[in-house]
Amino acid sequence: MSEQVRASTVEGTAGHPALCVLPEIEKEDELFEIIWTLREEGNLTFDQIVQSCTLKDCKNILKDLSKNGWININDQVVELLPKGEKRAQELVRRHRLSLRLFYDLFLLDGAEAEACKFEHILSPEVTDSVCTLLGHPPNSPDGKPIPRGACCALFRQEMKPLVAPLADLMPGEQAKIVFITPESHSRLDRLSAMGVVPGSVVKLHQKRPSYVLQLGETMIAVDRDITKEIFVKKI
Amino acid sequence: MHSHGSREGEQHRDSNLNKVLLIGNPNVGKSALFGLLTGKYVTVSNYPGTTVEVTYGNAMLNKTRSIVIDTPGVNSLVPMSEDEKVTRDILLTDKAGVVVQVADTKNLRRGLLITIQLAEMDIPFLLDLNMDDEAKSRGIFIDQNLLSRLLGIEVIKTVAIRKSGIDKLLKGIQHPRPSGIDVRYDDAIEGGIRDIVALLPEAYISRRALALMILAGDESLIGWLHANLQDQVISQIEKIRQGVQQKFNNSLGYLINHRRMKKADEILAQVMSRHETGRSSTIAFLLGKWSMHPVYGIPILLAVLYAVYQFVGVFGAGTVVNFLEKTIFGEYLNPWATKIVQFILPVRFLQELIIGEYGIVTMAFTYAIAIVLPIVGFFFFAFGILEDSGYLPRLAVMVNKVFKIMGLNGKAVLPMILGLGCDTMATLTTRILETKKERLLVTFLLALGVPCSAQLGVVLGMVSGISGLATSIWLGTMVCVLFLVGYLASKLLPGEPSDFVLELPPIRIPQLTNILIKTMARVQWYLKEAVPLFVLGTLILFTADKLGVLLLIQKMADPVVVGFLGLPSKAAEALVIGFLRRDYGAAGLFMLAKGGMLDPIQTVVSLVVVTLFVPCIANFFVMIKEQGIRAALYMVAFIFPFAFAVGGAINWLLRSMKVAL
Repeated sequence: MSEQVRASTVEGTAGHPALCVLPEIEKEDELFEIIWTLREEGNLTFDQIVQSCTLKDCKNILKDLSKNGWININDQVVELLPKGEKRAQELVRRHRLSLRLFYDLFLLDGAEAEACKFEHILSPEVTDSVCTLLGHPPNSPDGKPIPRGACCALFRQEMKPLVAPLADLMPGEQAKIVFITPESHSRLDRLSAMGVVPGSVVKLHQKRPSYVLQLGETMIAVDRDITKEIFVKKI
Repeated sequence: MHSHGSREGEQHRDSNLNKVLLIGNPNVGKSALFGLLTGKYVTVSNYPGTTVEVTYGNAMLNKTRSIVIDTPGVNSLVPMSEDEKVTRDILLTDKAGVVVQVADTKNLRRGLLITIQLAEMDIPFLLDLNMDDEAKSRGIFIDQNLLSRLLGIEVIKTVAIRKSGIDKLLKGIQHPRPSGIDVRYDDAIEGGIRDIVALLPEAYISRRALALMILAGDESLIGWLHANLQDQVISQIEKIRQGVQQKFNNSLGYLINHRRMKKADEILAQVMSRHETGRSSTIAFLLGKWSMHPVYGIPILLAVLYAVYQFVGVFGAGTVVNFLEKTIFGEYLNPWATKIVQFILPVRFLQELIIGEYGIVTMAFTYAIAIVLPIVGFFFFAFGILEDSGYLPRLAVMVNKVFKIMGLNGKAVLPMILGLGCDTMATLTTRILETKKERLLVTFLLALGVPCSAQLGVVLGMVSGISGLATSIWLGTMVCVLFLVGYLASKLLPGEPSDFVLELPPIRIPQLTNILIKTMARVQWYLKEAVPLFVLGTLILFTADKLGVLLLIQKMADPVVVGFLGLPSKAAEALVIGFLRRDYGAAGLFMLAKGGMLDPIQTVVSLVVVTLFVPCIANFFVMIKEQGIRAALYMVAFIFPFAFAVGGAINWLLRSMKVAL
């Protein structure tokens, strides 16, 4: 444990992600992201969008989007139309993947601002490569789901991912925990009390008959299911 | 189930005695330290979860009369299982006195997680870095002075099992202080803490710590909240919690732990230094590795079982029992007793009471001391070696998948193996299991088909005397019954199985003194527990015999015992006393078989019945205590007819297939 641990901080990103301040063309993108996030939280109303939005001409852009067939506005009810749905999904996917990339791989604390710049320059192909590189992560660092892309559906392991589930490690290999996507809250609480948190270095001793992990001087035996939810970067 | 084992604690609660509370992660040596401070022995083992109840002991510390309190180990003060709850509750409901946090020096990272929580509680404490020798041999060094400065509390290094550092610890106990370290959480969580603190009453621990427990989703706190707050305030608090939780996708408990872990890592980076040692190839490490290897692990498991069988079953239950029973009791004690009694008690009735067929000396003492005691003693000695070596948790790793069939996980092997020692003790340790369903299932299986050492020893002695086939039939029946009933019960009982997450302690060379002390303590416990019941059972038989009731019972039981099970009518006697203690029942059969009254098939059938038969009285009381009277009665109501049904089926199978044993 001599190694100073730089955890990919997850706390500190409560609520809505800090909004990106960007040129004219990308204002629409901002609104799509807001709509998507609000919908996830079950809070999607016209007023909420306006409230969450930092842009001055927010209402006008919304009206333009509605006119061009991206969204449907009916008093308070706002809906994404099919082509808007697709655009929003891609945007949010790029944004959250960029966040993952900066947090986990480059270990940047100010990932939000970097991700904001990055998400707009990612082409679909590069997005899928980043996704594969990171091991098709299901969540962004703030725990929000990353919309799945074509690459995740196929899950071709053509590019060896840098971040992979602990279950895929070979016995004897060491890795650093990057993120955990637990099925249940209590599972995560229990693991974290034993030191299994992002940033910890873990060594896999064996896979059968049960998985045996070592963290510092602690040896823990766990089920395979659990190791599928712990994502690690080999060191 | 609110405060296990603290009846004794109630008396201590408001007294002015100096209180010393030992708290820490599992398997860090709290019980060893407790023994050193009080001179009172509590079971010390090398696996997490040995202590499931709070233990109190008196001691003179620094010339002051003190009470030392040993607690079950915890990974977090937000409890995840019943035994962890016991520890948290004692901090919550009692003015703590001096808290000594015991930490494993080589595993300080996890110890600090608790240090931080104690600091948040704002209670005075000190930190004891125990097992310093193991840390050193692993090349780990902790700068104790710097750590003390960073935490703002006394930090002491000890090796409890070698009694080193104890004087310094005693000095430190005089100066407990609240720690100054302080962890800031995310703004949203801090906001939640502020809102909840405003609603909480004054308590023994800080309101901030309470608020954090509530935010972390500690359901076990509900009882305390209801006792201290109005329902309306509680729902207000719950609303705040949900409000904060909604802002995060991960559980608050995890986020809070993660933040604490970060703080622990910051501290650790400053105080810990390590240099590589070539330890990864030490024999103990390799043994630990092989014992859970998918291939080598199995022969090791079989070798361990065989060694225990040879030691307990063949040597203990065979050689030693024979010597005690035939030579000591048969040739010396019983004839002497007969002579003495006949000389000083001329009344025939009284003579029979002591030395007759159902006499206290000739039956109760002979059974208890000559047959059962050596078996129990040898078993607990062997079990102590297994416990202290650290093999048992590795066994759990080996059997995890198999136990899944019964809706359990590998962790359940710990109470089950302990059940082979004593089902009553084992039923208490089901507390280390996480869900109610698992605790219920294991309690049930223990009562049904796990024979205790005394019974097991007698049974093994009898079946192995017949043939290997007889042994396999008995063993196979038990294993099948356990798995089948476990499988069905796990389907019927509601609830999900819990995760298998088990900490593996290092393999250690067992210390003979600890094993001897532990065996003595357990044997003493056995004698206190069993001998009075043996005497009571004998008295009941004696009375029943004199009144003619015994014959009546035998007649009434004949259709089942003779007709259905194909046993001699006298076997009913063994079953009747089996109600009192299962091993007593088995010992009764032992005597029958010795007298040539049971043929091989009858022996196997009667042993199957007596093994599956209702739990002994002590076990039954513990079942009621842990699971409630309803559940306990349901279990017994199932087990009673079931034992006879299985016995009848085996009898019918063996007879109709004309198996020669």
